[in-house]
Amino acid sequence: MISSPRDIKSISPWQRLLVLAMATFTIAPFAPLIIQSLAFRWAWPNILPTVWWHEQRERSPFPLAWDYVFSPSSRVAEATINTLGIGIAVTLLCLLICLPAARVLAQRNFRGKNQLEFLIALPLLIPEAAIGIALLMIFIALGLSGTYAGVIVVHLIPTIPYMVRMLTAVYQGHGTEAEDHARVLGANRRQIFFRVTLPMILPGVIAGCLFTFLVSTNLFLLTFFIGQGQIITLPTLLFAKISGGALDATGAGIALIASVPGIILLIFTDRFIRSYPLAE
Amino acid sequence: MKTNRTASLALMQNLRDVAEVMPLLVVLLGLFGGAVVLGILQSFGYAPWFGINEFPTTRYFERLWFSSDFWASLGLTLYYGFAATLIGFVISIPLSIALSKKFRASRTFAALIRLPLMVPYTVGIALALVMLGNGGLLSRISAGLGLIDDPAQFVQILKTHWGCGIIAVYVWKQVPFMTLTLSAVLARKGEDTVEAAMVLGANSRQIFWRVTLPQIMPGIVSASLICFAFNIGAFEAPLILGGGYPDTLPVLAWRYFQDANYAFQLQGMAVVVSLALVSGIFLAAYLLGYRRYERARGRV
Repeated sequence: MISSPRDIKSISPWQRLLVLAMATFTIAPFAPLIIQSLAFRWAWPNILPTVWWHEQRERSPFPLAWDYVFSPSSRVAEATINTLGIGIAVTLLCLLICLPAARVLAQRNFRGKNQLEFLIALPLLIPEAAIGIALLMIFIALGLSGTYAGVIVVHLIPTIPYMVRMLTAVYQGHGTEAEDHARVLGANRRQIFFRVTLPMILPGVIAGCLFTFLVSTNLFLLTFFIGQGQIITLPTLLFAKISGGALDATGAGIALIASVPGIILLIFTDRFIRSYPLAE
Repeated sequence: MKTNRTASLALMQNLRDVAEVMPLLVVLLGLFGGAVVLGILQSFGYAPWFGINEFPTTRYFERLWFSSDFWASLGLTLYYGFAATLIGFVISIPLSIALSKKFRASRTFAALIRLPLMVPYTVGIALALVMLGNGGLLSRISAGLGLIDDPAQFVQILKTHWGCGIIAVYVWKQVPFMTLTLSAVLARKGEDTVEAAMVLGANSRQIFWRVTLPQIMPGIVSASLICFAFNIGAFEAPLILGGGYPDTLPVLAWRYFQDANYAFQLQGMAVVVSLALVSGIFLAAYLLGYRRYERARGRV
């Protein structure tokens, strides 16, 4: 009816309440997390700390709060590099495996296609703990547990279903006409792929890669099981910090650092993440 | 001659297709199939690398299934999974409908609400600790309002078997995922059918139950399957925020695996296989029910 953006008042009061409540529920808990990361003494029942970190910085014989987070002994730098490096490796490997398969799934009909699609979705439907523990035994036998290769390979399991799904949808959206024209005009396969297909599907490929990267950087369980404590990433480092059930200033700082990649992606990739065809 | 040539071209094309699917198949069958086969073998007593080979024995399953602890753990696991998925949909269905109406700030709100999707579960757990713990912000606010005067008086949210903290983390993290899935379906369906129903005089309740809900059903099914499977397989939230013994099944399995006695790993594998079995049964029942629903609507 009306295509131009309307005022928020165009939705009913209940809907307005729901949207505002959910935004609060989502964002508000970050406020005490930030305060906690800057606190030195924050006794109950004060709403704000009585002694802040910056007031104690000079006096303390050892690094506090953010000073500790940024010091080498916290291993945050190592975990960040691992998280990003593993994320990039997983994304590239996943793309390499899924791109050709997605083309076939999108453009061909064959017997057993439904079964194959079900097999591809299966890793999302089987509990991660079950896969992780069973794979750990295999990886120990192969000498892959506690290695980068092992962690990267195991990250393929939860990322492949999403990547295949998104790339298949992209291929389906484009059909094969442009490729057929190029073939008639004498282009070879390589030219067709790099000059015709790739530019057309690039936005979808980027969206798939971003989502894969996101899933990989947020993964805890499989990294924790297969990494065996030797490969630390931001989620496993944070887990080690809070597994006792308490959160100190350092833990809060690490939690904030672990959120940074996601926040950056959220700001810069809104366009891509929104348009990806998740619902099939 | 010509038909021969097209036939061989078609064959070449088929071979190429197979070759292009092959890497995916190898990875999936190798990793996933390997894990399944080894898990099942081990849970039936095959572990020659520990010097144990009793295959086939049902000892480990018997020991597990005849203990009341297992059923308590299974009950807890399913309870957290169901409760979180259900609450998630109660929130995300109206939320996605509200956000599908384009208002000026809807994009900003949609982006803000998407934040939990982008950060690890462990961050959600840290937020639960700082908000919901007995020394957390809600407890402090209650004290500020004069409701309580000691942290111990604050209602125990974390570390109980009610699992409010666990469910809160799951809901916080999964509502964006569900909303995004449903929004994608809504965007593709457009507003035409809703407007048509409106013109024909349907009220908003009728529109929701008769038009919108059936339209987004496929999205609900796929998102709930993924979230439920994740919830019953999650490990970190129940471990940190849960009430301790009896643990959920993934935590129970992990404890068996951490045991110094290797033989317990086979017991742990029986736990894992049981968990996969339960989730498989639910998956099959759910898909069957959904197919019946679609058939009743005449869509299949």
